[in-house]
Amino acid sequence: MMDSPDLVADIVTDVDEVFLFSPGQSLYDAFEDLEETPVVVAPTNDLDAASFVELPLEFRDVRDRIRFGLEGGMNAGLTTPGETVLAVLPIFADTPDATVRVTVEESMQSGIYDLFANSRAEPAVIRDVFEVAIELGKKGQKGKPVGALFVVGDAGKTMNHSRPLSYNPFEKSHVHVGDPIVDVMLKEFSRLDGAFVISDSGKIVSSYRYLEPAAEGVDIPKGLGARHMAAAAITRDTNAVSIALSESDGHVRAFKSGELILKLDPEEY
Amino acid sequence: MTGSGLATNHLPVDVAQLPSPDTVLRLLPLRLLFFVGVLVVGALVSYFVASFNRTLLERLGVPESIEGTTFERSAREFGTSTVSILARLSGYFVFLVFLVIALSTAGVQSVTGLWTVAVAFLPQVFVAVVVVVIGLIVGDKVGLLVDERLRGVKLPEVGVLPALVKWSIVFVSVLVALAQVRVATSALLVLLAAYAFGLVLVPAVALRDMLASGTAGLYLLLVEPFAIGDRVRIGDVEGVVQEMDVFVTRVESDGTEYFVPNRKAFTEGVARVRE
Repeated sequence: MMDSPDLVADIVTDVDEVFLFSPGQSLYDAFEDLEETPVVVAPTNDLDAASFVELPLEFRDVRDRIRFGLEGGMNAGLTTPGETVLAVLPIFADTPDATVRVTVEESMQSGIYDLFANSRAEPAVIRDVFEVAIELGKKGQKGKPVGALFVVGDAGKTMNHSRPLSYNPFEKSHVHVGDPIVDVMLKEFSRLDGAFVISDSGKIVSSYRYLEPAAEGVDIPKGLGARHMAAAAITRDTNAVSIALSESDGHVRAFKSGELILKLDPEEY
Repeated sequence: MTGSGLATNHLPVDVAQLPSPDTVLRLLPLRLLFFVGVLVVGALVSYFVASFNRTLLERLGVPESIEGTTFERSAREFGTSTVSILARLSGYFVFLVFLVIALSTAGVQSVTGLWTVAVAFLPQVFVAVVVVVIGLIVGDKVGLLVDERLRGVKLPEVGVLPALVKWSIVFVSVLVALAQVRVATSALLVLLAAYAFGLVLVPAVALRDMLASGTAGLYLLLVEPFAIGDRVRIGDVEGVVQEMDVFVTRVESDGTEYFVPNRKAFTEGVARVRE
């Protein structure tokens, strides 16, 4: 037997905040007796926790998940850079099974939280688009890998920075992302070239759009193609967020203000 | 058996007059036999009526069409179903008629007097019960249909409508049922009138602007004279259309987003600005 008690003590002593990721009622109750109530990070606030950070995606990458939680905590003033936080989170199981000691740093403001919470479009809309993109990346279109580009929010401006490639299949239709039937439509229309334009409230304004932003000075990782260049550039010209699914490497990337904010591998979800 | 027991009460006078009590004794079992016979026939007929109605309702596809309604669900909770409740009701009704016939043939005057009135009244009770059941089911069904329709429209603010429609139908069916059994419904009728009046008056006054915007919005959404991304001028607001819903159109210009009520599009007109 190793000297495990000391190891645990090193991790859990002298922490300023406790962040519970998707805790159960009993775990939350156990921590609630502390002088400072723990911060709950979960998809929904089922426990009616006083300090709560909404987790829009179940980030498979542990670091992404913790970063998102801390970023949300910083945004809500629940923690500040320099503090030591104990994150209790599930890694292998569905209930928390790991504790991580982490020091909050300013550099953790990677923008992932900002992408969801402070964009023009509603967080639920961005989450729904992410889900469609991940689903599409996982299954592809009829088994073949497919690329797609969704521009979410600030639809009026986006429409003025783009032109139709052909008739808009969504003209005079009033459908919103998140509807199961609509998700099927999105997947079906993803074989068309061009981008989907989605409004702040999730209405699908158009597909088949050719984006015409000014791409000068847009800096994205080398190796990404025209779709990602357009995705990054349109978010610099407008207040939109763009979510691109790469046909070649199958990753989902999110851009805001012309920068790559988040990269996800659909296979991990 | 109460029937025969009561029947004998009238007999002492007869017994004294009749030469032999044998005839009475012979007469009694005959009446009893007849009574039992009618009851057995009644039971059989009511059973057949019930099963006929059950099959009829099932053939008509009633169980499928009422699937999921509250009435059906609560009926299921008690281990039965709407169809069997209705079928059984009709069966009981037929059996009751036979019971009264049997009692009257057995010569139970004291009972028959009351029961003939009851049986004459029975069809109305039966109709009333059926009307309430149908009202509950139709109300539920229409509520569900409205709910599903509205879910497609994605307008959370009309969530009360299904419940309103459902309870209106139930209320009217209860009124009809009460009128069937001749309960004084005038007070409820006044309530219905007030309700209908309110249904007209409240939207007319309180929701006037909403309604005007809603109908205008319906036109705008269906015809789409302008769409998201177009530059428009509504009244003194000019900008790019960012969002359109049934009630308002969001127009943005220079970082300011204006929420223009759709009725303005009609009262003040819309100008599409093309460069």
